[in-house]
Amino acid sequence: MTESRFTVFLVDDDAGVLKGLSRLLRARDYDVQAFTSPQEFLTNHVSSAPGCAVFDVSMPGLDGLELQQALTTEGLQRPVIFLTGKGDIPTSVRAMRAGAIDFLTKPVNDDELLDAIARAVKADISIRRASAELDSIAARLATLTPREFEVMTHVIAGRLNKQIAGYLGTAEKTIKVHRGRIMEKLGVRSVADLVRLAEKAGIPGNRP
Amino acid sequence: MFYPDIRFLRDRIDRVKASDRVDGPGARYAHVLRGVLLLIFVILSAPGTASRADDAPRRVLILHSFNYSFSATTLTSEIVRKRLLERFPQGLEIEADFLDLARYPDAARALRMANFLREKYAGVHFDAVVVIGPAALPFILEHREVVGEGVPIVFSDLTRTAYEAMHLPPDVTGVFSDPYPEKTLGLAESLQPGARRVVVIGGSHAVDRQWQETARKAIEAYNPKLETAYWSDLTYNALLANVSRLPSDTIVLFLTFFADSEGKRFVPANVAAAVAEASAAPVYGLFETYLGLGIVGGYVDTYGSVGTTTADMVLEILSGTDVTTLAPRVNPGLTFRVDARAMDRWGLNERNLPPGSAVLFKQFSIFDQHRYFVLGTALILGLQMCIVAALLSQRRRRHQAEASLIESEERMTFTAASANVGLWQFDRTTNELWTTEHCRAMFGLASDVPLTLDTFVGKVHPEDRGMALAAIRRGSNALESSVTHVRVVHPDDQIRWVSVRARTDSDGTSSRLSGIFVDITEQKTAESEAELQRVEVAHLMRVSVLGELSGAIAHEVNQPLAAILSNAQAALYLLAQDKPDLAEVRDALRDIVQEDNRAGEVVRRLRNLLKKGATRTEPVDINELVNSTIRLLRNEMIGRRIVVETDLASNLPALSGDSVQLQQVLLNLVMNAMDAMASTPVARRLVTITTRAIPAEAIEVLVKDRGPGFKAAQGGRLFEPFYTTKEHGLGLGLAICSTIVQAHGGKITLSNDDAGGAIAGFSLPAQELMVAAQ
Repeated sequence: MTESRFTVFLVDDDAGVLKGLSRLLRARDYDVQAFTSPQEFLTNHVSSAPGCAVFDVSMPGLDGLELQQALTTEGLQRPVIFLTGKGDIPTSVRAMRAGAIDFLTKPVNDDELLDAIARAVKADISIRRASAELDSIAARLATLTPREFEVMTHVIAGRLNKQIAGYLGTAEKTIKVHRGRIMEKLGVRSVADLVRLAEKAGIPGNRP
Repeated sequence: MFYPDIRFLRDRIDRVKASDRVDGPGARYAHVLRGVLLLIFVILSAPGTASRADDAPRRVLILHSFNYSFSATTLTSEIVRKRLLERFPQGLEIEADFLDLARYPDAARALRMANFLREKYAGVHFDAVVVIGPAALPFILEHREVVGEGVPIVFSDLTRTAYEAMHLPPDVTGVFSDPYPEKTLGLAESLQPGARRVVVIGGSHAVDRQWQETARKAIEAYNPKLETAYWSDLTYNALLANVSRLPSDTIVLFLTFFADSEGKRFVPANVAAAVAEASAAPVYGLFETYLGLGIVGGYVDTYGSVGTTTADMVLEILSGTDVTTLAPRVNPGLTFRVDARAMDRWGLNERNLPPGSAVLFKQFSIFDQHRYFVLGTALILGLQMCIVAALLSQRRRRHQAEASLIESEERMTFTAASANVGLWQFDRTTNELWTTEHCRAMFGLASDVPLTLDTFVGKVHPEDRGMALAAIRRGSNALESSVTHVRVVHPDDQIRWVSVRARTDSDGTSSRLSGIFVDITEQKTAESEAELQRVEVAHLMRVSVLGELSGAIAHEVNQPLAAILSNAQAALYLLAQDKPDLAEVRDALRDIVQEDNRAGEVVRRLRNLLKKGATRTEPVDINELVNSTIRLLRNEMIGRRIVVETDLASNLPALSGDSVQLQQVLLNLVMNAMDAMASTPVARRLVTITTRAIPAEAIEVLVKDRGPGFKAAQGGRLFEPFYTTKEHGLGLGLAICSTIVQAHGGKITLSNDDAGGAIAGFSLPAQELMVAAQ
């Protein structure tokens, strides 16, 4: 929140509502970007910026849930708060399953909204943090040669050097050198750390 | 002509002559005497004859066998006398003497008579002697010197038989008169073809017996086979009694009856009348004197013809014809003579009469006598009858027509009154109004108020008086009657609606107007009740539609509330800061006001639709109505993932009507369009609302959807109440829309779009005062 201000992306087809919410959040020192249609939001919002989304459920074109779906499809992990005129349970369940921070009924009290946004800020921070670790892992993995990446997949699968050499048709000694470079490049000291890192990066072990 | 009364005299003469011839000396004596007398006559008369000057008056002596009271001969002689005077205009002296020899037939008396006459006519010259009746002929022949020898003698009655027996000198001529009993019998037979027997009646007097003898001979010569009885020896009473018992198929021939069997004297004609009356069978007779007394008739002559023929012969002699060249003549008047009354009495048929028969005493009917007069009179009477009948019939028809007219009028008045209809007539020139009595009740007029135009108009509601007057005065042309509805104020302030229907009589140029008053209060009440129900139903449908939309409408109110809350809370927070940003607070408050207005607008719109007010007429902006409707449906459309597009024409003609009702129509059509697209893929869900001006100063609103459209079979029924294609529809939407649009003078349409989907629409006439309520 220090390097960049937290932004609330408001999407509601009702201009009046949009204006009121914007005023409320800006008074609380949030940056607000307001959109009157989902398309406008999808086109203009900056996905890298920290922040959360507040979607009206009932909108022409895409409704709030579909908009959330659209973000997920794009791989954007933006905490979403839903506002609805009629708080029907099936819709709220769907929204929460899809990872919504909250599902609020209009007219919404500022406490409720701000509380939800506060939670969204935390969620956003953790998302961003996870995202940053993965970025560094990815950067470190990027330094591996393809031979080293291949050897790594065997290592995290729990194979011994001798087994890997046999499997790759090379000397055990060579494998041992690759393993040492991998550990060094990735900054891990044990195989256990290596396995945890590969898991985070989503690299599956090579199991023939 | 011959006289039954003196027949015996003739017979005596005949006998005398016969004895002369047969007995010799007597006859010879008479002959010699006659010759001597003739000689003396010639000698004496010669100088007279010679000395007779042409200019001396002619004289005729008429000698009667009877006295003056014997009408038969008197009648004959009278005819002779008249004819002579008539036919001999030069002047004629006629002498007459009544010898009365029949009653006093003794020779001494005859001699005295002869002497008397001789002295009477001494020195008088006669040109002819007419002898009437047979008895005088032997007398004058015996005493010719009385008139002078050689004076021609003309007899008027002598049978041919007697004439031939007498061998008269050539200067004696005359008229034969013969009885023909057989011919009379022949007449009887032809009149009574079925007759079985003949009864010949005669008296007991010598003359009667003579007659009977003559008749018997003639009858036996004529038809000897016919059963014939001769009654001659009966008393008068017995005779009458006998004839009364005769069978009807008897022929009764009455001859003469001078005396009955007891010697009692009778006049034959009287007996003939009595017999004819008493007889049970037809009675015939031989003499003219019997005719008219009850007998049927016979072969008889008349005194007239005897007299005429006799006179004609005298005239010939007077005009110089030699008497010796004049042969005796047969009376031309001898013929069948019958009494028509007697014929009728016995039922005898005139057609059976011999040809040339004379029918006497025929009682000619008035018709026979005055055929043409009678026919003419009858014709005129007939015509009169016809005319009278026609007039009577016409009168009856007129009465009937009048009665039926009165009845018809009463019926019409009754019917009109029963139907609560009053009849009226108005004369434009006299400004007079005539009405039926029933109009009093309709206009609440008291029974003593005169029925005039003023009193009627006075009862009309002040606001409608002008209209009422115009309706009564103006009328319209004959083909279309004008109708005006006016209010009538009754004494109890009750308002009644009266329809004034007026038309001019016949060609429309007449100054007279006629028409009816109809009390239409009930109709008006019913109309307004129906309108009320229509409004009620429309309202219920609106409520129902809004109920369906309640979620969306709640959302519509919720949005401004949400905005207001956010703004208010923002403002509160800002004010709580050490240095409040007042400008921002003001903006927030302004937005709050705006949002509140917005919420109020929604509520107002909603209230309008939920309102149950009477139909109003106001200017309507149809585009605004479309937008308002879309706003109302906005959330519902979002909820149903339906996009709405509008294509609203600007510069639409002005329109007036009931905006709430029209919005209801729009609402219904759009919701139908939305409902129609439940199965349409989300991306295609589009409602297009178009407004446009169409020719003929009208506005059209079209609502197009992308649903499946409707089937042709449904098309015709979609406007029927309670017909629905929706699962939970009431089937009243389109029916009410149709009613509303029609009340606005418009038309609702429904068609399938070529591109798929349905197009519902309605057109409304522009710039017209919508009088939906009326």
